[in-house]
Amino acid sequence: MKKIMFGVIAVVAVLLAIFGRDLVDLYRLQNYITTSAEAYQTDRGNWPHLTDACTGCHGNKGNSLNSLYPSLAGQPAAYLSAQLRSFASGQRVASNMGPLAMTLSHDDIDLLANFYARQPTSADASFAPDEGLREKGKQLVQTRGCVACHGEQLMGHDAFPRLAAQGHDYLLTQLNAFANGERNDPSGAMKAIAAALSPDERKAIATYLAALTPQHK
Amino acid sequence: MGIKSSIDAPPDLKRRQLLKLAGASAAVGTIGLNIGLANATDALLKDSSDDVLDVVIIGAGLAGLTAARDLHMAGCQSLLVLEARDRVGGRTLNHDLGSGYISEVGGQWIGPGQTAVADLARELEVGTFPSFYEGDTVILGGDGRVAVDLKGTFGTDETVAAKLSELSRDVPSAAPWKSPRAAELDKLSAGEWLAQQNIKPEDRAGWNASFLLTCGVTPAKMGFLHFLSMINSAGCEYMRLDSIKDSAQGTRIVGGSQILSSKMAELLGDKVRLSCPVRKIADWNRDIVRVQTDQGEIRARRVIMAIHPALCQRLQFDPPLPEGRAALQRAWPAHSPARKTAMVYPRPFWRDKGLNGHIIQVDGPIIWAYDNSPPNGEIGVINAFVLNAAAPADPEAAKRVQTEIYARALGDEALNPVSYHDHDWAQFDPWTITCVSPIPPGFWSTHGEALRPPCGNLFWSGTETADIWAGYMDGAVRAGHHSALQVLNALRRA
Repeated sequence: MKKIMFGVIAVVAVLLAIFGRDLVDLYRLQNYITTSAEAYQTDRGNWPHLTDACTGCHGNKGNSLNSLYPSLAGQPAAYLSAQLRSFASGQRVASNMGPLAMTLSHDDIDLLANFYARQPTSADASFAPDEGLREKGKQLVQTRGCVACHGEQLMGHDAFPRLAAQGHDYLLTQLNAFANGERNDPSGAMKAIAAALSPDERKAIATYLAALTPQHK
Repeated sequence: MGIKSSIDAPPDLKRRQLLKLAGASAAVGTIGLNIGLANATDALLKDSSDDVLDVVIIGAGLAGLTAARDLHMAGCQSLLVLEARDRVGGRTLNHDLGSGYISEVGGQWIGPGQTAVADLARELEVGTFPSFYEGDTVILGGDGRVAVDLKGTFGTDETVAAKLSELSRDVPSAAPWKSPRAAELDKLSAGEWLAQQNIKPEDRAGWNASFLLTCGVTPAKMGFLHFLSMINSAGCEYMRLDSIKDSAQGTRIVGGSQILSSKMAELLGDKVRLSCPVRKIADWNRDIVRVQTDQGEIRARRVIMAIHPALCQRLQFDPPLPEGRAALQRAWPAHSPARKTAMVYPRPFWRDKGLNGHIIQVDGPIIWAYDNSPPNGEIGVINAFVLNAAAPADPEAAKRVQTEIYARALGDEALNPVSYHDHDWAQFDPWTITCVSPIPPGFWSTHGEALRPPCGNLFWSGTETADIWAGYMDGAVRAGHHSALQVLNALRRA
């Protein structure tokens, strides 16, 4: 990789000297396209690939930069496949996801779940938490037993999702949906926990979780 | 409204009930007569309460308002258009930039062969003007950049386009499932077909962008049969579907696309009821349909459903809809909520540099940005389709991300916009779930026959039901005309 980068810099310098800015920019564009096409082939396979369908709403390789849309990167495969199946059956209601999940075969679901589960997670750099809320959220997360299911680092495992560094607005929407019965989990634990929290407490928890730095597994 | 309909109704009503009575008794003798009498008595009781309308139209978008306008012009006064939002226009929306300028937030273009919407514009005395595309388009990727004159196209490989055009001849836009090659083509995704075409790496971003914009999904999840039916709508010319010059993105509407709906609503006056979401439709299989809204129950003989199938899916139907229609609504794709932004500058400064203000970015967040300035370029507007998750939800942060991209593409003047507008259709209101329809492989073979047949007194409309240009503004106007004819005929026969 370093060798390639050095090569690029050397070529760019020569082009800049002889032809100027425009040609350098063109060379860089071609270089970017070649590199990203190779990376695509390694990560996903032949273009166009099924995994492209999620990019618009869930971000490049499942890392959403928009707090309203959940990140899929690093979510446990079992969680992702369970959610896709529950969107398809209508058990989890989401107008956008329902019909899309219905088109996926068992193999498609496995492929998508495994692909996104193995993508590295990144923190949402644009999120600026309110410190008071974050502190309050931290205490609530410790006292309400979140780590029992979601793991010590809140990175999720098996059917329990990663919460660390998930989008703030998405987390809050889901906590509210559990609290008012719009979303249900198999054990009913989330409903019980969320319903026992005040709206401000749910906000504090979402703030704390969204501001966490994801721990790489 | 109720008073007006009761004044207009009696002679016509009496005639209809007599006809019904006569028909029933003549056809099936005593039993029929009894049932006929019972029905007629039932109808009389309900009708005498003054408030049964001939037609209720659900949805004040282009389709619903076109239907209402046609009915109004045909002399039907007993009608009401119900709209859930506090505005008309559906998936067309003007954003007011001040000083009399607007930028379109939703559907905005018309093109060759889109004669229904073009005629409507002329009838409403609304002008049109060409989209701006003269000059170089900038393509960005990583830290690379190139400016190239695409001559009013998206730089599509025309040999691939020609193959698609040819294939589309076999797929009728009105009923893709009736194509002689439906069985074979409906198994494929557009992506599976493209994978056989040796698309070069440098062309992939262009195809991805085209599919996202035109179909609402990347190629691997787009049904090939439906994709071909869209090309068929464009007169079997791919470049008429997916280009700018002489294409479906080639012409804009003076005053913005929402003006068509606003003008029709003005004509209809208090027959359009805003902020009136429908929650439940009962007795759709009986003479009088009961439409339950947040503003109370409204009863009508015929109902035009001028809303997206995914919105139909949110309503309660009592009795439940027939399984075929219910399955179609449940499966109708709704995962294409566009996020559209507008960056406003004092002038379209890029034009002076030989640039057309169009930007295609490999790997986003910009899918496609374009010059959306008013007809004479008095101010500069760059509109963009943005990948929903690739820019922050916070508009200020999203604005910074985009000005930096525009500065690289168009120059440092781009860093100082006058204003910015950001509209994610998935988030803004609950009444626009999605945009265009990425119909997946196999959908038409399973659900095609359930698309249009009315269910009892419910008539399915909306652009998704159009026989040409389904999914476009033109399709909405066509669907509106069609459903108005259907209900007029149904009322005549009643």
